[in-house]
Amino acid sequence: MFERFSILRLSHHTRWRLLLLPYVLGVIILVIVPALFSFALAFFHYDALSPPVWAGRLNFVLAYTDELFALSIRNSLSLILIPVPLRVFGSFLLARLMQRNGRFLSWFRSAIYLPSVVPAAAFALAWLWILNPLYGPVNLLLTAIGLPAPAWLVDPVWAKPALVLMGLWPIGEGFIVSLAALYDIPPELEDAARIDGAGAVAIIGHILLPLTAPILLLLTFRDAIFTFQESFTHIYLMTQGGPYYATYTLPLFIYEQGFDLRAFGIAGAALWVMYALTGLIVTVLYIIAKQWNVGTTEETFVL
Amino acid sequence: MSSKHVGRTGLRLFIVIIFLLPLLWLIAASLYPPGAPLPTSLRLLPPRLTLANYGRIFQLLPLGRYTVNSLMVIALAVPITLLISSWAGLGMARLPRAGQQRWIVFSLAILMVPGMALWSTRFLIYRQLGWYDTIWALIAPAWMGTSPFYILMFYRAFRRIPAGIYDAARLDGAGVLQTWWLIALPMARATAVAVTLLTFVLYWGDFISPLLYLRSGNRTTLPVALQTLQQLSRSDWGVMLAAAVWTMLIPIGLFLLLQPVFNRNKKRL
Repeated sequence: MFERFSILRLSHHTRWRLLLLPYVLGVIILVIVPALFSFALAFFHYDALSPPVWAGRLNFVLAYTDELFALSIRNSLSLILIPVPLRVFGSFLLARLMQRNGRFLSWFRSAIYLPSVVPAAAFALAWLWILNPLYGPVNLLLTAIGLPAPAWLVDPVWAKPALVLMGLWPIGEGFIVSLAALYDIPPELEDAARIDGAGAVAIIGHILLPLTAPILLLLTFRDAIFTFQESFTHIYLMTQGGPYYATYTLPLFIYEQGFDLRAFGIAGAALWVMYALTGLIVTVLYIIAKQWNVGTTEETFVL
Repeated sequence: MSSKHVGRTGLRLFIVIIFLLPLLWLIAASLYPPGAPLPTSLRLLPPRLTLANYGRIFQLLPLGRYTVNSLMVIALAVPITLLISSWAGLGMARLPRAGQQRWIVFSLAILMVPGMALWSTRFLIYRQLGWYDTIWALIAPAWMGTSPFYILMFYRAFRRIPAGIYDAARLDGAGVLQTWWLIALPMARATAVAVTLLTFVLYWGDFISPLLYLRSGNRTTLPVALQTLQQLSRSDWGVMLAAAVWTMLIPIGLFLLLQPVFNRNKKRL
């Protein structure tokens, strides 16, 4: 059934290259063009009904003077800077704990991964129940052992910690990737260190962490970008940005500007700011990576 | 077994229980009888278990319809993703070294583009293409292999196949597509299974695309149905949680089904 394709008079190499064609076309139509278009829209008034009108830098001024915009950036940053390192380091420690042989190990690993296959919307509803101030099991548990029970998602102080807390469950991908990274370290290294009298903490700190650092960095990266997106579903379903805008993040701002107010230009301006922030984080991570002298070889690049 | 082993297994078990606890709480709460007073003390299971909430979600919403919609998205998105991403991965693996590097950098750069940057302009593009308010808007990313991450996964798997095997296939007269289907893909089975599961979970749980690109309620998928239900019956926890359990049943079942493949091939993913 495949013969008719090879009739094409193309060199062998070109025909391998053709396999990349759908991918490139897809990326151009679905990522590159829309991304560039979003950036261009930042300089226009556009409501998707009438043709775009040139606006210069007005959209940036409007976004800049919008208090909600500044607030959404602060909230977004704190919802990335705190949970992401926790998630990555936590998944690394879990992978270490589940690395060596033992009873039921494959079942244990699957159990760690299980929360990650739960759809974000179902997960959000589940946690809305779990963190319910009156009937939620967490608060019943806290009351039972005599601890104060916060109102979690309806308390402006506790709403962010609640989101951070529930984000600690779906870490399956980081767990699997860390596990693979740990398996790639020759066991002789660890054995030698143990003979020299290194304890569990020293082995992690001096051998395993430095050797897996590039992959953990890449995971940090991916997680930071992914958290942005995933947190939108959680926040949209659980708090709608409240209480008192405590969980109002940049994706929510962009969504409201674009889809509620049809102010695509302001949404575009917000994207420019977000890209600048992402670029900043990427640069910092890159500098750290350079300092460590890691993450530059091809093998570590591709996970 | 030494005491150290017992201690480690105990610690592992403890952590596993913590990871499963939210799901157990969720399932337990969905089994409460409708209308019964909610417990104000800590107990996992209600005195009387009932599936009544599950019956009620199907009365409140055409949940069967939404489930079929979700399954249709999967039936289209997963095979298209597998096709495009494995092709691209193979095409990359067969390039000269410098070319491979360039494609890795390209794919990583695309990976860094946040989804939000595409929300509103994809909306405009889908409207132009006539995809707005159709299933095609939901599965559109499949046409680029869904995520460059999957292309890199396939690339890595195909690169591990020795070049001699590709050369031998070529000498035997196999074309590019024959080599892909008969040789490369079977040797990367573990990766294909992993990409299948990841793609399934991604499209099944996708809340944002139907929210942004669908208008007709009868075309929507399960995650948005959950939101509708949440608005319909604000404090009726039994109904909401039963719907949440219903939504996660299929991905969890699939995961448990495929779990042995992962454990066998962990090193080769």
